[in-house]
Order: sequence, then C-alpha cells, then structure tokens
Amino acid sequence: MAPRPCAVIGVGQTKYKRRRDDVTLDGLVREAALRALEDAGATFDDIDAIVIGKAPDALEGVMMPLLSLCDALGAIGKPIHRVHTAGSVGASTAISAVNLVESGMYDTVLTIAYEKQSEGNATWALSGGKSGGQGAGGTFAPWIRNYIARSQAPEHIGWMVAVKDRLNALKNPYAHLHLPDISIEKVRESPMLWDPLHFLESCPSSDGAAAVVLGNDDIAKKSGRPPAWVISHAKRTEFGQFPGRDTVRPQAGVECSEALYRKAGITNPREQIDCAELYVPFSWYEPMWLEGHLIAEEGEGWKMTDAGDTELGGSFPVNMSGGVLSSNPIGASGMIRCLEAANQVRGTAGEYQVPGAKISIGHAYGGAAQYYAMWMVSSELNPEF
Amino acid sequence: MPTLHDVDYTLEYPYTRTTGPVIGPFLTGLRDGRILGQRCGDRVLCPPMEFDPDTFATLEPDLVEVGPGGEVVNWTWVAEPSAKHPFDRPFGFAFIKLDGAHTSLVHAVDTGGDPEAMSTGMRVQAQFRDERHGSVADVYFVPEADAAEQVIQPGDEPVTITEHLIGLRITEPLYPHRARFAQGLLDGKIIGQRSPVTGKVYVPGRGYDNMSRVLMSESDEVEVSDVGTVVAFTELNPVQYYGQTETEPYVRCSILFDGTDQPVIGIDIRDMTVDEMRVGMRMRCIWRDPEERSVTDIDNRYGNIPETVYARFEPTGEPDIPADELKEHSW
Repeated sequence: MAPRPCAVIGVGQTKYKRRRDDVTLDGLVREAALRALEDAGATFDDIDAIVIGKAPDALEGVMMPLLSLCDALGAIGKPIHRVHTAGSVGASTAISAVNLVESGMYDTVLTIAYEKQSEGNATWALSGGKSGGQGAGGTFAPWIRNYIARSQAPEHIGWMVAVKDRLNALKNPYAHLHLPDISIEKVRESPMLWDPLHFLESCPSSDGAAAVVLGNDDIAKKSGRPPAWVISHAKRTEFGQFPGRDTVRPQAGVECSEALYRKAGITNPREQIDCAELYVPFSWYEPMWLEGHLIAEEGEGWKMTDAGDTELGGSFPVNMSGGVLSSNPIGASGMIRCLEAANQVRGTAGEYQVPGAKISIGHAYGGAAQYYAMWMVSSELNPEF
Repeated sequence: MPTLHDVDYTLEYPYTRTTGPVIGPFLTGLRDGRILGQRCGDRVLCPPMEFDPDTFATLEPDLVEVGPGGEVVNWTWVAEPSAKHPFDRPFGFAFIKLDGAHTSLVHAVDTGGDPEAMSTGMRVQAQFRDERHGSVADVYFVPEADAAEQVIQPGDEPVTITEHLIGLRITEPLYPHRARFAQGLLDGKIIGQRSPVTGKVYVPGRGYDNMSRVLMSESDEVEVSDVGTVVAFTELNPVQYYGQTETEPYVRCSILFDGTDQPVIGIDIRDMTVDEMRVGMRMRCIWRDPEERSVTDIDNRYGNIPETVYARFEPTGEPDIPADELKEHSW
C-alpha cells in the first residue's frame, strides 16, 4: 500500500540565543510548538500524536524529558514518542513523525526538537564528563584536513562558508549570531580552535526549539496554508570506527542521499534541487557534504563554494537561513534544517527566500559522522523532474 | 584473570535551570519562607504549574500563599536514606495538600525516624531551613504538634536561575577483556583481539567483532607492537568545563600500531607540539617504569592507552608511511 502523502502545514521556531533566561525548558519547547500550531491554524486539540527529539540527556541533565514535557506539549491522553540519534536527531525526529502520518496511523502529528544548552556544557557532555575531552571540533578537524589534502581545496574555502552563512543569518530574525561586520579577515584572524578551524568557522552554543505540524493530504488541503510535501526521506547509520571507514566521505551518508534521490525520482541533484539546508557545524562541512551527498562530484564541492554557487542568489544556495554556523541548539539543529527547507518551498522564508524554490532538502548528521537523516520537500505533491 | 579493579564511574555536572515566570516566584517564596500556589480557574495548584493540566492553556502568573499547614493524603516510608535525601534518618515522602491548595505537593516529612508517627490524614506543617537558596529543599514538613515558630528574613533578588549538582555514579567490575587489556598495559604490553572471521586485529578489543558480529574472547587475544603510525592528531585548547583539569593546549593523536587494523584514538602527547606531528609519522611507546604504571583511569567506556602507563611517545626516525596507505584508518 502506498504511503499516505504527508505535508508540513505549520512551522514554529524560537529566537536562538546563548541563554534564554526568561523561560523554563518546558516554556521554551512550548513556545516553538504554539508557533507551529498557530502557523498551521491548529490547536493542541487537532494533534493526534507528538514526537520529540533532543541530543543526549547529559546536555541538560533532564532524564526522560518526554515525561516532564507532557503538560507543555498538550500530550496528556495522547501518544508521545522520543527519538534519539545524537546530532542528527532533529531531522530523524521529523522523519519519524512523517512515518506516523504516512502509515495512516495518525492524521496530524506535532513534532518538536530542542536544546537548552545553557543549562549544561556540551563539550563536557561529549567528553563523557571527563577531563581532557576531544569534543566535536577536535574529532572532526583531522578528517577535515584529510578532505583538504584529498581535494586540494585552498584554505580560504572554510572562511568563505563562515562569512556566507553569517551574512545569510542577518536576514533571519531567529538566528543566534548576527555579525554584520563579518569578513574573511575576521574569520582568518579569529583564534585557531582545531587546525584548520578558526573560532568563527565553528557553530555557537544556543538555546532554542523548533516545531513542525505535519498533516496527511486531507488535512493539508483543508489547512489553507501552503504545504511543503515531504516527497522523500531517508536515514542511514554506520559504525563510528571500523577498518576501511572513510571518515571524509562516510558510506552511510552516500547511501542516505542515494536513497533520498531514488525515492523522489531525482537523477541530477545539482540541477533538480533548488536549494539545501545542510548540517554544517564547522565551515568545511559545506563542501564535504556537497560531495558526500552527491550534489557535487568528488573533489568538486569546494569549487561550488569558491564560485559563489552556494550563496543566496547562487545556482545552488546552501543554508539560506544561516545554518548551524549561526544557530546551534544541538538537538533542534536538524529539525531547523528540515523546517527551513520547508519554508523555502512554501515561499515563507522571508528575506532569505530563494525565488521560486520548488524542491529543497533538509539534512543532519550526528555522532562521529555516523548517523544521517535527510528529507526532501516540494511545493507540489507529485513534482515532475 | 582476576578483576583488576571495580570501576567507579561518576558523571556529574552542576546544571543550571532557568525558572521562568511561575516556578521562579514559587522558589523565591520558599527562600523567603512562604509557599505559593498558582491560581488555575477556581483552583489553586501547589506545586504551581506553568500550564493548565486539563486544557493545556498557558497560565498567567497568579500566585497566592498556601499552607504552611496541610494534610497528608498519601505517603511512603524511606527506611534507608541515601546521601541525596533531605534527612540522614528514616523519613516519609508524602503527598501533602496544603491549606488553600487543591492539589498535592510531594515532600519530605520528618517524624524523628518513627514510621508509626505517619498516617494518611495527619496534619503537618512546613518548617524552613536556616540556609535557603530558592530550592524545594529549603522547606520540609513535620507533624503539626512538632512545628516550631519561625521568623524568616526574606532575601533580596528574585530567584531566576538555580544550580543543581546532578549526577549518577556507577560501580561495576571491569569487563574481563578490559581487565586483560589493562593488565597488559601494566605489564608493558598492548593486547588486541583478532577477529576469528576476518583476521583483523582491534586494539583495545571490544569483546566482539562489530563488523562480523561474533564474540571475541581470551583465545582471540594477541600482543601487538608498541610501535605504530600516526593516522590523525588534533591540538586542543581545553574548554574549562566542570571537572576539567587541563589548562594548557595539548595534542591528542590516533596511532595505528603495527599488526593492527584500527587505530587507538585519543592518545595523549605531552612533549611534542602540533608542529612536530605529521600523519604517517612512525612513533614508539616509551613505557613508564613498571612500579609507576597505573590503569585506574580505564573503565568500561573510556581510557584506551592512558598516559598513566607510558612516559611518552617518541618518533622512531623511520620514513613516514604515505598518507594514502592510511586512508582506511583515519580514525
């Protein structure tokens, strides 16, 4: 039986910032949920099931938040699920919610992902609570150097991504970082954190939540709001460490995108997709994912960045909203990518709208670049390629 | 092989909580010696809630004093208090419906250690601690007849953020293969496990080959060389988080030991700078003297080759291994 069509009918975000000191964690999560409901023209009464996601519990020290969030999310008397796939969780959560609609089990599902990072310390958590941890940047830096060595990319590519995403963020009122005077020089001269990554080539630590209301085709047609049809989605996983693992171009990432494109009928992602929100917490991951997700040929991703193709106004805009480099409430970051991809095809992306965008992708990765989750959204239910 | 040591693994962090518009005034009240409930329609909720539990509507902050007396509606007895409990002698946890409230607060009742003094329907009264921080632990309850008169001096600023040392502690024996690996390090040997299916050698072994999904045991263990090749390295500027003891930049590297198929990650390099490191560089382990070796940092999750067993790693001077030969071993 064919899956029931599923569309994004409402989205909600909080303003991302270093510390949201005016609300509780519950209040923060609810803020995004209420905005998504408002956008969908719905209330909690219209919701059949709730799916939440966040990164490891150690980030805030709240165990099983699905229990304590029931009131805030109107979940009493309804099913609530929690998804957990490290940094990719926001996108995995959105996809898990899509599955619930596609299966025909539920008509309307509310999905929310969040992190209130100011309540703990992510580097502490990612170090297993031990001194001398390596953190995310310290783990990814050698792989980035391998990418640079392999692709012969010039060093300014990372700086360009850092500037481009921050300039995009200036158009996004929800973005955490608004750095109007960002420049190549500023990035290059910011402190070196993990060679080759400078401070300004790294994501911030944010408090924030993102929510999406999904409906089946009947609900979407009735809602009166422009839908973003979820025409394809895929998740893939691999071990973090094994002999033969290509950490620059992980096989699970390649297979995830192959599955995504195959299901949608995409044969030429670069041409047939209008724009993408890719999970780029460190500047160099833009060219790495352009290649690792088959948008560019191997060794050619950095040339797209260098040529300005990935800028807003370029031939393949990436991270129009400012991306993870501008806002990173870890657990929510993947859902923000999915949500912003939906904004583009709904025509609701405001100042960072790609004119006429019809097909867009949202993407996230997590763990030691070992979990992948991607979705493709379209302004039409059955787009032709 | 005897168990080397029990692992005492503690994960603990001083988390903060932003208290928001309803919980903040509640905690401020406790610090100031008053218990507040939140109006919700014609009811008063204590503990206060931010959202109507029936309609899910947002409740505008509207707090009213309740208690300090109340009635136990249900209770249980804690016969053996733990370190984190509010009393060091046996006590009751009770649902307490405070005078003026329509819902029950779960809190601790001190009867001097006597369970016979607890009963459903009993009257209790709040007592405030001398040191208060804007926390639910600022208050506790006693049987009404035992309550003392208190004069509480209010604090200054409202409570908007609280801090809580939250953690968990696990004590468990080292897994047998981890114990053998750790014993090897004490003996100046690096012990790996060879997959009975693929022949690939993993250091340290996990007790199973995750690629072939077979168990690996003592009979699959092999001693490998303490000379290897650097396959990745990073210089780290330590983030000064809770429990961080590092203060200066340090180098962590991954070394593929000769005769193995997967690098050991996170090796601590103290006496070389990042400028002296190269992918492909050949390195040798210089062990500490046997009596100076320690493996207490090894638990079942972390600690591959801790710096407590070696004095340093030093270049062998051999020619580098070309990077493309290491492509399969970048982590």
